[in-house]
Amino acid sequence: MERLEIMIAGRGGQGILLAGYLLGLTLIKHGYYVVQSESYSAETRGGDSRSELIVLKEQGEADYMRVRRADIAVFMYGEQLRKYSDKVRNDALVIVDSTFIKPEELREGWRSILIPFSRIAEEQAGTIRVANIVMLGALARITGLYTLDELKETIQRNVKPGWIELNLRAAELGYKVAEEHGA
Amino acid sequence: MRSLLTGNEAVAEGALAAGCNFYAGYPITPSSEIMHIMAERLPRRGGVFYQAEDEIAAINAIIGASWAGAKAMTATSGPGFSLMQEGIGYAVMTETPLVIVDVMRAGPATGQATKPAQGDVMQARWGRHGDQVVPVLAPSTPQECFDMTVRAFAIAEELRTPVIVLSDEFIGHGREVVEIPGRVEVPSRRRPRGRGEPPFDSPDPRVAPPMPPLGEGYYVLVTGSTHDAYGYRDTRGFETHYRLVRRLWDKIWLNMDKLFDYEERNAEEADVGFVAFGSTARSVVKAVEILEARGVRAGYVRLKTLWPLDLRPIRRLAEAARAIIVPELGMGQLILDVERAVRGETRVVGYNKVGGGEPIYPSELARFALEVLGRA
Repeated sequence: MERLEIMIAGRGGQGILLAGYLLGLTLIKHGYYVVQSESYSAETRGGDSRSELIVLKEQGEADYMRVRRADIAVFMYGEQLRKYSDKVRNDALVIVDSTFIKPEELREGWRSILIPFSRIAEEQAGTIRVANIVMLGALARITGLYTLDELKETIQRNVKPGWIELNLRAAELGYKVAEEHGA
Repeated sequence: MRSLLTGNEAVAEGALAAGCNFYAGYPITPSSEIMHIMAERLPRRGGVFYQAEDEIAAINAIIGASWAGAKAMTATSGPGFSLMQEGIGYAVMTETPLVIVDVMRAGPATGQATKPAQGDVMQARWGRHGDQVVPVLAPSTPQECFDMTVRAFAIAEELRTPVIVLSDEFIGHGREVVEIPGRVEVPSRRRPRGRGEPPFDSPDPRVAPPMPPLGEGYYVLVTGSTHDAYGYRDTRGFETHYRLVRRLWDKIWLNMDKLFDYEERNAEEADVGFVAFGSTARSVVKAVEILEARGVRAGYVRLKTLWPLDLRPIRRLAEAARAIIVPELGMGQLILDVERAVRGETRVVGYNKVGGGEPIYPSELARFALEVLGRA
């Protein structure tokens, strides 16, 4: 791996930017050099929300800040999947929240993994608001880029105190569900 | 300490590390995070945070705070930066140390508030009326946002001048690894040795006069009108005015070696050269790699200081190159300097694109370079 491009997209309110930030911190902890950018619309809810990460072994390779063609894409909502599919490689690993995205919306050629992050968050963690963390837990298992423990450490250090326990549980749930999906 | 910071966060961290203890501002995308952080952190450290009613009040508040001895700053974006221009001119004339951060967005007017651009180069240099020079620093990474904000405070204090840090939305909202040093040294402005030392004159134009803080017993007149060595107005005479504006001009231009900074690659052997700054320079670095991989000799000059500008590195690049490309997120402002440097001896072409958050992709720059070289 020389340069790995990751894109996480969804709608405002799904915690996309926080997920990207926590993912970046976790990858740094693992020893990677990370460049991350965000784009979002003016609305706090609804609208587009996108976090892009360039993951490198060394700083020297960090040039251009944005994703050109994502190697790994996470779509948490259908509208953004339709909008940003062209920024994803034809053979990319694509992970989607199947609560909101139907299998027929996925492109052929993608290595697609469908997990209902939002439904799992709501039913098993008690709130849809931690769907982003369920996703990060699953991503640890699916990609092997970082460990569940590294993610949990990031959560412990960077999430508001009242949310830590819930987020730790969400991360574990995600990891487990990815295992069940054969990842 | 190793952190993952946005350019805006790094600016705020840099300001705090440099000892900034007064911030006044009016929120505006894409600079607001700087203000949020200062609002949260400054009061806890005994500093002052002031949300002004508009940018005109903000710039004037930091001028007042600076005269009271504070290390003062503000941050804004294009529309707010326009409103601050009169105050910046006043700060030049009164030799007031200030740091002003402009996180550029697409304009003119309200334009596209959340989208990056590089259209404020000329406003940063020439937005004020009259004869004035203000140093302009241009970071390309969050790390440089930190380093250059610290440096901006150091220059402001040493030369008693406003300093502008010209960032953009890509860098402001982009996160990257930033190393924050444990301790940062920033000099403080010199005070007069006694009441007799003039606060508005200096035997050596490269050295700023001492600055007496207000409220500590110094008698000092501060005015935006033409003034003599002790601050007394003279709005009629030639000698006083010429002496003052000449010294203010020389204070910056004669410190070129201290203020001008750049980075270059293959500058003396490139067939095609790029001149760029800020976020666009990152695409240039990659474009040069793409071209080299295709056997094209390419190089660049990345300007880290936009003003005062030393044209010599650009001239050197032009001596070897068959063409120089100036990519800008805008219709082209830096290109005028490049044309001035090259004096018609090498072909200079702009690559201009702005709006919607579209970057200049390295691949399109490389393609354009091949076209320009007639090898496409």
